[in-house]
Amino acid sequence: MKRLLSSIRDGNGFDIVLVAFPLGFLFLMAGLPLLYNILMSFQEVDMFSLGTFLRPFVGFKNYQDLFAQPETWPILGNTAIFVIGSIAGQFLIGFGLALFFWVNFPGASWLRGLFLVSWVMPGLVVGAIWNWILSGDFGVLNFMLRETGIISGNIFWRSDPNYSLYAVIIANVWLGTAFNMILLSVGLASIPGDLYEAAELDGANAWQRFWTITLPMMRSTIGAIISLGLIFTLQQFDLFAAITSGGPNNSSNVTQYWAWDLSFRQYDFAKGATISVIMIVFVMFASVVYVRSTRHEVRG
Amino acid sequence: MTKQIELSGVNKYYGAFHALKNIELSIEKGSFVALVGPSGCGKSTLLRSLAGLESISTGDLKIAGELMNNVPPRKRDIAMVFQSYALYPHMTVEQNLTYSLRIRGVPKAEAKKAAEEVAATTGLSQLLGRYPRELSGGQRQRVAMSRAIIRHPKAFLFDEPLSNLDAALRVHMRKEIRTLHDRLGATSVYVTHDQIEAMTMADHVVVMKDGVIEQQGAPLELYDRPANKFVAGFIGSPAMNFVPAVVGEDGRSLAVDVGEKQTITLDQQLQPGRRVTAGLRPEHLHFVEPGQGVFRLPVGIVESTGSATYITTATAAEVTIVETARRPVKTGDIIDVSIRPADVHVFDGETGLRV
Repeated sequence: MKRLLSSIRDGNGFDIVLVAFPLGFLFLMAGLPLLYNILMSFQEVDMFSLGTFLRPFVGFKNYQDLFAQPETWPILGNTAIFVIGSIAGQFLIGFGLALFFWVNFPGASWLRGLFLVSWVMPGLVVGAIWNWILSGDFGVLNFMLRETGIISGNIFWRSDPNYSLYAVIIANVWLGTAFNMILLSVGLASIPGDLYEAAELDGANAWQRFWTITLPMMRSTIGAIISLGLIFTLQQFDLFAAITSGGPNNSSNVTQYWAWDLSFRQYDFAKGATISVIMIVFVMFASVVYVRSTRHEVRG
Repeated sequence: MTKQIELSGVNKYYGAFHALKNIELSIEKGSFVALVGPSGCGKSTLLRSLAGLESISTGDLKIAGELMNNVPPRKRDIAMVFQSYALYPHMTVEQNLTYSLRIRGVPKAEAKKAAEEVAATTGLSQLLGRYPRELSGGQRQRVAMSRAIIRHPKAFLFDEPLSNLDAALRVHMRKEIRTLHDRLGATSVYVTHDQIEAMTMADHVVVMKDGVIEQQGAPLELYDRPANKFVAGFIGSPAMNFVPAVVGEDGRSLAVDVGEKQTITLDQQLQPGRRVTAGLRPEHLHFVEPGQGVFRLPVGIVESTGSATYITTATAAEVTIVETARRPVKTGDIIDVSIRPADVHVFDGETGLRV
C-alpha cells in the first residue's frame, strides 16, 4: 500500500495517473459515443426502441438500405466534390497568401493577423453574410461578375441545383483559407534562411529554390494541413445549414448534413449512425496521415 | 599573378549605418586570404558582399576581371561554406553534393561520379547515403566543404566554418582546409574572429574594425610591424602589453610608466618629450639576473599551462610575461625582465598609429 502511494506520488504510478485522466475523459466523451454510434448502425432503431440500449440486431441491413436509396451516391459524390474543392481552394489560396506575406513587406505581419478574422467568425454568421453576397437578385458576387462581363444573366447560386454546392464551397474556402495560411506561414518561417542562400550560390533560381527547398521542407506541414483540412471539411455543417440546407433537391447535400437530417429531423437514427460510420473511416484515414506527417518532420 | 577578386572604393550602408568603409582589397588567384576582426567589424558583411548575398552601395567589385556589382549570387560562380553548414536536411550527402550539378542539368551518372570522387578525397565515401542529421559536426563540416569543392568555383568563401567544432577538431580541420586549398589551387577567402586561425592558415591577413581595413599583409608582417595599436593588440596571443611612455631627453630611450618609472632603450630616434604608448609582446619580455634588467616588477598572478607560464604583474598598467622555462615564481616576488630594443613597438599616444 505504501509502495503504491509512493509510486503515485513520484514514479510510474504518477505518470499513469496523469495519462489516465485525459484518456478516461476521451473514452467517456468521445470513445463511448463513437462505439454506441457504430452499434446503432447495426440495430433497428425506431420511435419505440429509442429509449432502450439493446435493440434488435439487423446486421448490415441499414447499410444495404442506405445504398439502395437513390440519393445516396449523389450525396457521396457531393461530399467528395465538397471536400476536394474546399481543400484545394483553401490550400492553394492559403499557400499563395503565405508565400506573399513571407516576402515580409512593411505591415505584412499585421495584415496577416487580420486574415484570421475569417477563422474566428462563427460558421452561421459567415453563412448569413455569404447569403447576401451570393443572393441571386441583389448579391455582390453577381453584380461583379455581370459588370466584368463574365456572366450576362444572374446566377441563382443558392437555388440553382447546378450551383448550390459550389456556393457552399466558395464560402467554405473563404472560411478556411486563413487557417491554412497561418499554418503554412509557420512552416515557411521554420525553414532556415541560409538554406536559400546556399541554394542561391549553388546556382538555383527562385523557381528551382521553391521546388527543391521550400516544397520538400514543407512536406510534413502540407501533409498535416491537408489531413486537418479533410477533417474540418467533413465537419463543416453550419454553412450548409445557413446557405442551402442541403437543397434544392439534395443538390448540395453532403454526408455530414444528411446524417444530421436523418437522425434529428427524420428520427431515423440507424441511418444517421450508418452514414457517420462511413465518415469515421475517412476521418480515421486522415488522422493516420496527420499523425504520420507530424511525426516525420525533417529538421536539420 | 592575376587578380581573382578586386574591390575598390567599396562602401556598404544599412540605412544610416556605414557597415563597410572604402574597402580596397585585391586577392590574387590561388591565395588564401583571411578576414579577421572582432564581431561587428564588417568581415562577414564583406564576405557576403563577395558572394552577392548583400549588395554593395558604392564602389566596384570584380571577380576574375568581370564587374560583379549587380550580378546575382547564382551567376557569380562562387562557393560558400556557412558557419551553420546550411546542408539541405531533406537530402542525402550525395544529393547535397550533387545539388549544384543537378541544378545545372549535369547528367545523373556524371554527377554521381563527381560526388564519389570528391567524397573519396574528403573521406565521405562511406557516408554518401546518410542524411545530415545522422552525421557528426566534423562530418557535416566536410560535407559543406565537399559541396563547395565539387563545383570548381572561381573562389571559395568560408564564413567562420570551424566555430561550431570542438578545439581539437578545429586544429585538425585548420590543416585539412589549408591542404585542400593548396591541392586544388583554389582562391579562398576565410572569415574568422580567431587571429590564430587567420595567422596559421592565410597567406594574406586582412584585419578589420568598424568597417575599416586597419591593416593587411602577410601574417608575420602584421605580427612584426603592426600599423597601429588595434592591430598590435589583436594579433598575437596573449595580447601585446600597452604601457604609457614618454620619449627621453636623448630621443633614444623611453621612460615607461609601469607603477614606477623605468627606462628602456629604443633602436630609433624620436622627438624628445613626445607622449607615446609602448607595445611590449609578452613573449619578448625575458628574465634576466637581478640588477641587469630594464624592469623590476612585482608579480601579481602566475598561471602555468605546463609548456609556458603566464605571469601578470601587480602594477598600475598590467604587464603580462610569457616564460617557457620553468621558474619558481610566485605572487609577491620581484622579478627582473628585459626586452631587446628591436622588439619595442612604439605607437603615438593620441592616434595610436605606429611611430
